[in-house]
Amino acid sequence: MMTTEQPRGERPTEDRGERRPGAPGGGPVVRGVRSAGGTSPTAMSGWQPLSGAALLDRLRVTGRPRPVADPGLAGDLRAHLEHGIDGPAGSVPSHGPVDDAGLRCGPGAPLVVTARRLTRALACPVHATGDPLDERGFSLPLACGALVDVLFRQLVATGAIGDAVTDGMAGLGVDDHRAPLVAWIGQLAPTELSELRSEVERQADGLRRRWPALDPAWLPRTHERIRVPLAGGAVELVAHVDLALGRPGGDEASVALVDVTSGSRRPAHRDDRHLHALIETLRSTTPPFAVATYYTRTGELDVDPVTPELLVDAARRCRAGVRALTGPAAGTVPVVDHRPWCADCAEALLPVDGSPVATGRVPAPAPVPPPVAVAALVAAEEQRGAADGPPDTSDEVVSFPEDRAA
Amino acid sequence: MSIRTAGGAGTPPLDDAARSRVRAALVDGAAAAVTGMPTGVPVEVTLPVLRRARSRPGTLGLPEPAFAWKPVFARRSLGLAAVRACAGGRFRGPAGAVRPLAEEAVDEWRRTGRRTFHWEPWYSGLDAGARAVVLADATTWATPLWSAADWAGLGARAVVGGTDDLWTCPGPRSVRLRARYEARVHPAPARPVGCGADRPEPGPALVSVSGGTPGEGWDDDLAYLALVAGMRDPGRPVPSRVVGLWPEPGLRRTVEIDESVLTAAAGRVASVVGLLAAATVDHVTVPAGAGA
Repeated sequence: MMTTEQPRGERPTEDRGERRPGAPGGGPVVRGVRSAGGTSPTAMSGWQPLSGAALLDRLRVTGRPRPVADPGLAGDLRAHLEHGIDGPAGSVPSHGPVDDAGLRCGPGAPLVVTARRLTRALACPVHATGDPLDERGFSLPLACGALVDVLFRQLVATGAIGDAVTDGMAGLGVDDHRAPLVAWIGQLAPTELSELRSEVERQADGLRRRWPALDPAWLPRTHERIRVPLAGGAVELVAHVDLALGRPGGDEASVALVDVTSGSRRPAHRDDRHLHALIETLRSTTPPFAVATYYTRTGELDVDPVTPELLVDAARRCRAGVRALTGPAAGTVPVVDHRPWCADCAEALLPVDGSPVATGRVPAPAPVPPPVAVAALVAAEEQRGAADGPPDTSDEVVSFPEDRAA
Repeated sequence: MSIRTAGGAGTPPLDDAARSRVRAALVDGAAAAVTGMPTGVPVEVTLPVLRRARSRPGTLGLPEPAFAWKPVFARRSLGLAAVRACAGGRFRGPAGAVRPLAEEAVDEWRRTGRRTFHWEPWYSGLDAGARAVVLADATTWATPLWSAADWAGLGARAVVGGTDDLWTCPGPRSVRLRARYEARVHPAPARPVGCGADRPEPGPALVSVSGGTPGEGWDDDLAYLALVAGMRDPGRPVPSRVVGLWPEPGLRRTVEIDESVLTAAAGRVASVVGLLAAATVDHVTVPAGAGA
């Protein structure tokens, strides 16, 4: 379950300096839960969110033949990802806590790679180092996302949601890891609580109206964790899937994976669901037939049929991200620029003592050779892309001119 | 991640003489390990204890936090009940089974005071949102197990769930071995009547579900389950194999059980009993000057 309000690079509206109990690190409190009212596709074009059988059909009928089990493809994707990663005795560095409850920290522990971590590592070299920025402060959007997350699970498990905030808080309350968030919500000012309640109820109402009961024979399950060790366990790809349908591991794909997010649509969501398709393929050797993102704020549903091309792209991106996290620059990348690379690191890059930040060098994306058996697909794609942009300057270190940092 | 539950063709079933030798090794080893312990202090070995002895031996013997029910503790028992009910044809999948099964258990507890799962009072006191988390967790836990085999097709040969295996080592000091697995599958009767009647029947296959990824010693863990199952009742055949399922990475691994595997498992148990005994003595003995 993702909770996003600010597009990457857009600074959030912050109430700086106010610390609240329960907010890890006393981070900035982002105010306001953005409602879809006024900017939704509905308001602009008469578009209506899918619901009931139509929503399920959108998930089930992709217009493409369903993939079949292909151990060769899965093996090639794995080999591609593992190429160049050291084994357990190698030099993969241990990293700090990430958004995975099962992370094992310390020497010899695997590097846990999640969709969020991968995206951040690829978006910004600062995030390829440790994860001080993972200690985000609580915010109304985050609280809304957490509540809608448990409500979605409740709807799938029981077919009903009562009072949305009451049920949501009860759901969060049985999870020890959520205790700080529950405490934070509990001390919100009445106006903030009212705003949160209003948005959670609105999104819960959308869930009730649009999501039909899921046939138990489709094996619906929520919060499924998929974990694929690479390179003898030096790296673990981990996906937390909000909703999975279908029996895994058959001869023909029957699994669909759905990410549920309470935030705005972002390009990174597409990468996230493609990564989940890759991880499921590596796990069971049969790809899912579809990966989707459902937006509880608007009712939008993005569905991608899973193809070999999609998996190859995901593998290349994943490998680039793993290399960004494990390469020689990881853990040593200094401050890279006078300007922040993304909204999350804007605060972190401010020098504590007010002195100017040294200009550094930014590692460019690493070269990623294509998997062997799908090389033809990749070659064709690169041929197509050649007309669109400059050649890949992979593996070089790009100096940033001083004037860019001015 | 499907399960092959038939016994290994190359592994002959353990006869009573082999079982007795393993038992003797276990008894002797455990007795020697607890020699210095005061009588009356129990030592209990479980799979989590074995894993801790391997990965964090320093934590052995430390006091456990007070138990409180959580969804993660209830999901296994409810999930097993769901798989059992689905195998019996009552439900089409775990998602449809967990809620009625939980409600039936609570009703039964309210009516008779009998607890099917032990967590009925806790569950019945939860709000709807919290109960939904319990049901959702149980569904997610049960689905890979339900998908791993044709449980309905196995019929009476498959026993899903059941009580823990418990074996108490004879001797003046209490050493208990406790183990649990998720299912037991008995081999199909393939031998014609009267043919090879002098050979012991092949033992069942045990199925164990674990979280995370198989770490170092996964085969030791599976062998321990067979050891306890083989010791608890001399009238039941020793398991012929143990199948481990790790749903998160989608892995299935198998240990074929023979005398050498069980003897090695008994040796490991004895060494862990020794660690536990030492840790218990350390924690029971009040250091000089403490409390002054």
